[in-house]
Amino acid sequence: MTNSPPDALLALTNVNTFYGQAQVHFDLSISVPRGHIVCLLGGNASGKSTTMKIILGLVKPRSGDVTFDGASLLGLTTPQIVRRGIASVPEARRLFADMTVRENILMGAFVRDDREAIAQDLDKMLTLFPKLGQRLSQRAGSLSGGEQQMVAMARALMSRPRMIVMDEPTMGLSPLYVDRVLELIRTINREGVSVFMVEQNASLALEIAHEAYVLQTGKIVLSGSARALKDDPRIRDAYLGGSEAA
Amino acid sequence: MSSWLDYTINGLIVGNVYALVAVGLALIFGVSRLINFAQGSIYLVGAYIGWVAVVQLHTPLPLTIIVVAVAAALVGLIIERFGLRPLQNSVRIAPLLATIGISFVLDQLVMLTFSPNPRALPSQLPDVRFQIGGGTIGPLDLLIAGVGITSALLLFVFLRYSKLGWAIRATAQDRDAAMQMGVDVNRVNQAVFGIAAALGGVSGLLVGMYYNQIDTAMSLQATLKGVVAEVVGGAGNVPGAVIGSLLLGLVESYGVAVFGTSYRNLFAFLLLVVVLVLRPNGLFASARQAPPEPLTGTFIAPSRPVRIPRWALLVATGIFAILPLLPVSFYVLQTLINAWLLGMLALSLTLVAGTIGQVSLGHAALLAIGAYTSALLSLTFAVPVGLAIIGGGLMSAALGTALISPSFRLRGHYVSIATLAIGEIVSLVILNWESVTRGPIGISGIPPLSLAGYELVSPISIYCFSFIVMVVLALLQGRLLGSHLGRSFRAIRDDDIAARAYGLSLNRYKSLAFIFGGFAAGVSGGIAAHLYSYINHETFNTQQSILALTVVILGGLGNVVGAIVGAVALVGLPEVFRIAAEYRILIYGIVLLLLVRFRPQGLLGTM
Amino acid sequence: MSTTMLSLHALTRRFGGLTAVDAIDLDLAKGELISIIGPNGAGKTTLFNLVTGLDRPDAGTVRFEGLDITGLSPERLAAEGIARTFQLGRVFGNLSVMDNVLIGAHTRLRAVKPAVPVIGPLLELGLALLRPASVKAEEERLREEVKVILARFGERLLPRIDQPAYSLSYANRRRVEIARALALRPRLLLLDEPTAGMNPTETTEMQGLVAELKAEGLTILLIEHKLEMVMRLSDRVIVMDEGKKIAEGPGEAVRGDPKVIEAYLGHGLTTKQESAA
Repeated sequence: MTNSPPDALLALTNVNTFYGQAQVHFDLSISVPRGHIVCLLGGNASGKSTTMKIILGLVKPRSGDVTFDGASLLGLTTPQIVRRGIASVPEARRLFADMTVRENILMGAFVRDDREAIAQDLDKMLTLFPKLGQRLSQRAGSLSGGEQQMVAMARALMSRPRMIVMDEPTMGLSPLYVDRVLELIRTINREGVSVFMVEQNASLALEIAHEAYVLQTGKIVLSGSARALKDDPRIRDAYLGGSEAA
Repeated sequence: MSSWLDYTINGLIVGNVYALVAVGLALIFGVSRLINFAQGSIYLVGAYIGWVAVVQLHTPLPLTIIVVAVAAALVGLIIERFGLRPLQNSVRIAPLLATIGISFVLDQLVMLTFSPNPRALPSQLPDVRFQIGGGTIGPLDLLIAGVGITSALLLFVFLRYSKLGWAIRATAQDRDAAMQMGVDVNRVNQAVFGIAAALGGVSGLLVGMYYNQIDTAMSLQATLKGVVAEVVGGAGNVPGAVIGSLLLGLVESYGVAVFGTSYRNLFAFLLLVVVLVLRPNGLFASARQAPPEPLTGTFIAPSRPVRIPRWALLVATGIFAILPLLPVSFYVLQTLINAWLLGMLALSLTLVAGTIGQVSLGHAALLAIGAYTSALLSLTFAVPVGLAIIGGGLMSAALGTALISPSFRLRGHYVSIATLAIGEIVSLVILNWESVTRGPIGISGIPPLSLAGYELVSPISIYCFSFIVMVVLALLQGRLLGSHLGRSFRAIRDDDIAARAYGLSLNRYKSLAFIFGGFAAGVSGGIAAHLYSYINHETFNTQQSILALTVVILGGLGNVVGAIVGAVALVGLPEVFRIAAEYRILIYGIVLLLLVRFRPQGLLGTM
Repeated sequence: MSTTMLSLHALTRRFGGLTAVDAIDLDLAKGELISIIGPNGAGKTTLFNLVTGLDRPDAGTVRFEGLDITGLSPERLAAEGIARTFQLGRVFGNLSVMDNVLIGAHTRLRAVKPAVPVIGPLLELGLALLRPASVKAEEERLREEVKVILARFGERLLPRIDQPAYSLSYANRRRVEIARALALRPRLLLLDEPTAGMNPTETTEMQGLVAELKAEGLTILLIEHKLEMVMRLSDRVIVMDEGKKIAEGPGEAVRGDPKVIEAYLGHGLTTKQESAA
């Protein structure tokens, strides 16, 4: 916790993670300041998605700490972590394919009991994602990838989170939707929700992020403000150049 | 002669009853990808609780139904909390075995409490029939239809409109994503087991009233029928389970109309096998999807087998070989003869379930095939007993493998269902094929064991004969495991996809495993037939299949020495502790449960 | 003199609405090493599954040495000499390292050769139980061969030859997989991310091994994310994105291809980098 600045909403400190005997994270430290968009960049198999799972309590680190708003998340179950105010947009959306769009969005409010406010928030989602209005009673599995991403984001917002974690929100989307999704992430952030996103697409992520970290085979090899990183040639090397980059 | 309308009504009513069981199975499969083999036991418990309520407490009908539903739900909750939740992070085989163990324990508890004799369960409804069209319908039919439809509606409303219902549906579709929405998956599991058990219990009550009779044999039948209906409708598909149940009810009813009552179950299981072979994902499965990628080695627990030095094995074999020369009682020899017979069956099952990973729940069928073949060969064709037993082994190897071959393309829990059904089919064919098997009368006067003209009637000679046969089979199996075939079998068990990519044909090697294992089981059955001198279609039943499975787990899956040690332990220890016969099955069930929980690799370890 | 070993034509595989592999054409000459790169979900592993028979294409053909092998079973293809490793590392967990690699030599065993139904398998069972001198000698010979294969990995696997595979490190499991593939004496080798989960030293080692195999004349199809390795080893590189082949050519040319950079990095950065350069 010494490494994280006092205004960090989420902080991972010296996290080491293993799958069996294979180490996935090496002394990983990441901090997400309140109100910021922080992006974790990295190629395939760099350990990005595992970082998401650590935050959500789906995977337990062997050592290190994960804190949210000053309190450790280790030892909490995923539902408990969600109740603390972290919502997620999982990799490949992971919608409930046989449930309707409406049901999917409302599932996001599962931890809430205030029926009227939930109904209001649903209306709010439909203004934020107008396209979903006509799709409410359709099976979520029948939507296009871009529409599914909208549903996944709406679903995450329904818990009124203080923070959203997103795993590759632009993966497999057409360019049109990529821009929409990025714009929406900005909008969500402006309303006060902190965002931690894992991305492979560096240039897109750096467009909207405040800070970024570059992860390579489980180690942070680069980090700093998004603005600085955008012009850093090492980013490109980190992706296309192999292990010598850092 | 009843009209077709009567058969249709009867089919739909019975289908309604199956639906109550099958819907619970589908809910459970949906959220935890588990086939709950204890579902029939809850149905049994429901029937007996109903009996207590009706006959002893004289509760009115609506109250009876509520009492049964609540009590059964409680049983379901207990099963989930103490039987299955501790196994959440275990290998996939563990919860399957646990539900089998739980089923055994529950059935035995009911039997010990109420005795195995059938009891009458009055329906509390007036005995009148209403004429509709060409058929008749009674108040009980209407009650069953009413309960079925009401339950379906309630369940629909619950799943559609309640928060917990949403959580169940979401968990069934994507467990991880549901957790990320804040769903407490343990609570979902609990709810599902509670609902499934309530429905199953009420189903048992209604069936008891329908036939005005309940007995402990209901349990297995209910599990089987529920599983058939569920698999036909598509595992985990709740509306599919309802449709599958009605279809099953109709198929059975029309089958009975054409061929007679004793064919009822045969149709059910044939329907299952046909569906498993042609549409393993059920009648309503969607088009082909991405191939599943099971992780390596997650089906059985990894372990290092205990290495027993060769001299120790030789010493142990020597001691048991000269045992009859020592001053031991006939009682000890008799017990050990039983252990050797069970040991042969366990050798067979440990190869099939352990070495190549096909957890067969119908292994007693191989005993039956061997026993009937050997008995008939010696009786009808006067074949010498020694040769007849080998004939029994060969027949069991050939016929058993042929019967089981449709299940070779299946995986995991489906193999267990298919083998269970195939085992039942064998028993039903024996019952119905009177011209050959003498049907329900059974075969009596089977000649005693003899070798080269000498009758083996003394316990000492029988002991020596069965011991030698078992040791020879064990040595052969050890030799098999040491060859490239042993390696190939185990590779298929650990990862059938990688095995195929390296040229191992699943059909070929599963066949070989069943041929070899079928021979050992058939020989065991053959010897048993000549020892018992009388056999019928119930001599070799599912209880023996499960007992053999317990032996195999106890010894360590695939472990040859383990199979024999397990057989001696399971047959011998109850004798040592002088446990009354009726408690033994209960003990076996508990042993299975404890093993799965605390030592899944068994005493000597998985090979 | 270059003869075509593997030839894919318009190979396509759809899952529901998603086209995982979209009309891929590819020609691999004998002795050539082609790398397939691309971001997650590009369809690389699905392509491997189609070539090795674990999955069937919806359209298109696969030819191996001129023979149409589209839709043949993986068992058949293994016998034809196609070996592969898996992305997730599919070793046989409870088998020893020795047995794992011996399975690789399965198709070469004489006992499994007779393809006659019923009689073939029964003969195999008989040979396994009787184990005549010829079978014993063959087994011994293969065991020696396995040791030679394992020696390629230095001291990584040899000391662990009798340990069950589940007890190995992730990197060692990958090595066992490659050893198993080599035991098949493949004519075509497909490697799916052989260095996943390996540290830089181990990666360099693996790179050396693959280079050796190539030098020995083995035809190789490689999926790999470590670009440095791809550049050093490949005769040609194919880039896939969303099921389609978006670029093909020598490593350096592909690496500079704007379409490739876009697939990996997104277009914004590309333009900036280009202008900066």
